[in-house]
Amino acid sequence: MDSDRAYLLGLIIGGGIWGDAEDVFRIRLPYKQWGSYESNPLRAGQISKDVMKVVSPYFRAIYGLSISYDTVTSGEWNILCEGDLTELRAELESYDIVCEGEIRKTANINNIVPALVDDNLKRRFIAGLADTIGSTKQSHRRFTDDKQMISFEINGFEYHFVCALCKLLHSIKCYPDQILWNHPNFHCGMNPYDKRWKKGFKLRVYLDQYDKFGAFAFASKATSIKQNIELESQINVAIPCEDREIKSPSMSCVHSDENSSLLPTDIRGGHYIHNKHVCAVLGCEHAPYSEVRKILCKAENYINPFPIMVKGTDNDIESIINADPLFKNRTYRQEELTISTILNSKNDSHLMWGNGINSGYPVSKIIRAIAFLIAADTGQLNGLRPKGSEEQIIISYLERNPQAKVKCNLPDILTPMYFSMNGYSVLIGPNNPNVYKNLISYDDNNTYKLKVRQIIEDDLK
Amino acid sequence: MKKNEIAHYPEITRFIEAQLKSNFAAKGIKDIEIYWKSGELTTKIKELIEEHPEKCQCMKTYSRNMYPLNLDIFGIITNGEKFEIVILEVKLRESVGLAEWSQLLGYNVVSNAKFGLLINIDNGASSRLSAILSSDEDVSKIIRRKNHGEEMTHLLGFMQWNTITQNFEYSAMGQLWSLSALSQELIKQFI
Repeated sequence: MDSDRAYLLGLIIGGGIWGDAEDVFRIRLPYKQWGSYESNPLRAGQISKDVMKVVSPYFRAIYGLSISYDTVTSGEWNILCEGDLTELRAELESYDIVCEGEIRKTANINNIVPALVDDNLKRRFIAGLADTIGSTKQSHRRFTDDKQMISFEINGFEYHFVCALCKLLHSIKCYPDQILWNHPNFHCGMNPYDKRWKKGFKLRVYLDQYDKFGAFAFASKATSIKQNIELESQINVAIPCEDREIKSPSMSCVHSDENSSLLPTDIRGGHYIHNKHVCAVLGCEHAPYSEVRKILCKAENYINPFPIMVKGTDNDIESIINADPLFKNRTYRQEELTISTILNSKNDSHLMWGNGINSGYPVSKIIRAIAFLIAADTGQLNGLRPKGSEEQIIISYLERNPQAKVKCNLPDILTPMYFSMNGYSVLIGPNNPNVYKNLISYDDNNTYKLKVRQIIEDDLK
Repeated sequence: MKKNEIAHYPEITRFIEAQLKSNFAAKGIKDIEIYWKSGELTTKIKELIEEHPEKCQCMKTYSRNMYPLNLDIFGIITNGEKFEIVILEVKLRESVGLAEWSQLLGYNVVSNAKFGLLINIDNGASSRLSAILSSDEDVSKIIRRKNHGEEMTHLLGFMQWNTITQNFEYSAMGQLWSLSALSQELIKQFI
């Protein structure tokens, strides 16, 4: 290992793809719009210069490989490494990196990390990863432009790779802000039927942190983070994970794919209520265990065995109801209520139509459902999302149609209810922590691994 | 305001030092110190001996026998028993050519420093220097037979400092085409 090889290893693990050809290896730079020569020709020119002036000399001198590249309008770049790949292959295999397919999907860096004997070597390795999978799109901000992020985007299901990368960043004081785990509880927290949860991992670090402790070798990346940092009016300081507080997590539904065979065995079968909860289950030494324990003690408030909110056509929602006997065998009381009546009936608990303390359908979700139904009726949908402010959509609609009504379908016990209007419906699951508490158990081998059993009719009676 | 070349010395030396120390550590050599000085060689070496006697005493004889020589930057790599000198000739020009290469070569020969790097800030080498360094490896590897029969090898290289990335861009020119190549040669001297 040396400082130049550390950088190249980062680059290869971040973007390396082995194909069938004996003498060609590819490094894919998944830059998308950010790297598109149509969207930003100046940046594209800089990326091509980075490939030829930064990457090419390394590969030529270390592995005797020739470098060229190709790119497409969508912004994906491929660095083509041609020549005798024996030495490169042998080096990767010496670290137990499997030379097959997309490396980062299966990579385990546990054997590389010990060879990164000081912070500088770690930084060089991370620079290689950042140049390939460190996204500096301005949309990675946290809430406002004031908190800009770099997001390491990782495909696949290698939780331990993501955890090892997070620890590596931690070890150079570059504390990650959060990890969006490639798990249905995070990607599809409201809709248990949505199969499009496999969106990859996102490991996010404040740009200020990364600028101070991390590195890039690509000028295109370094320039981009300088531009993003200029949008901030203050410096963001990250806190080590072990010192982090966990605020009340958002509720997530129990997803049908929590048992997916794609998930590693130590994660599979669990339900996760916060990104740091996953860290604790993985046994990371930096996880804020006492904070995780605090939220687990009140986990019934953060889980829902039913869909939290599912939007669609009447047929979509009807199919969901018919597919689940617990929903199908209900008697639904139909009420046609004016939207303004619903909005005015908010109570202190922010729940409606419940049957005890803290039970009922959340008003916040009801308002979102109504906004969706109005947006669908008025052609203001982008996919299943209303375009623009939901509040404004409702206000404008009520100004034009003060007596507008929606159909409320309320079940006889606290299973999901649904609203309908002009061919569209929204299914909303109830909060019911006193009942949901009975569904929770913990894995015998991992006291942090929370499991939620299926709810049955008797639980609700 | 654009910085002059001297203003870039600290970032360049800091980066080189970090890479060299990492590469020594990766080979299990941990007692190495690296010191940087700018200016007249003999005076600065005497300063180093005073500042770090435990590591720089080994340079005493060298400093007595050396001629005065003004250098942009030089680095002393030492384990307290022996030392090596790396001369950096740093330029901030549209391109650097044979004149600058010759200057570096001259400094290395006069000072008996084994290693030298020509560094241009944010720019590359002239097409003529690039062509010579790419086609003739002897230009960056000088084997010199001294009066008393001892042979001395000088290894040189060219690289470009990128002020945006705070990193070197290599051009694969010269024997010391990279900091890893420089590290490997230095490590050989201390094993």
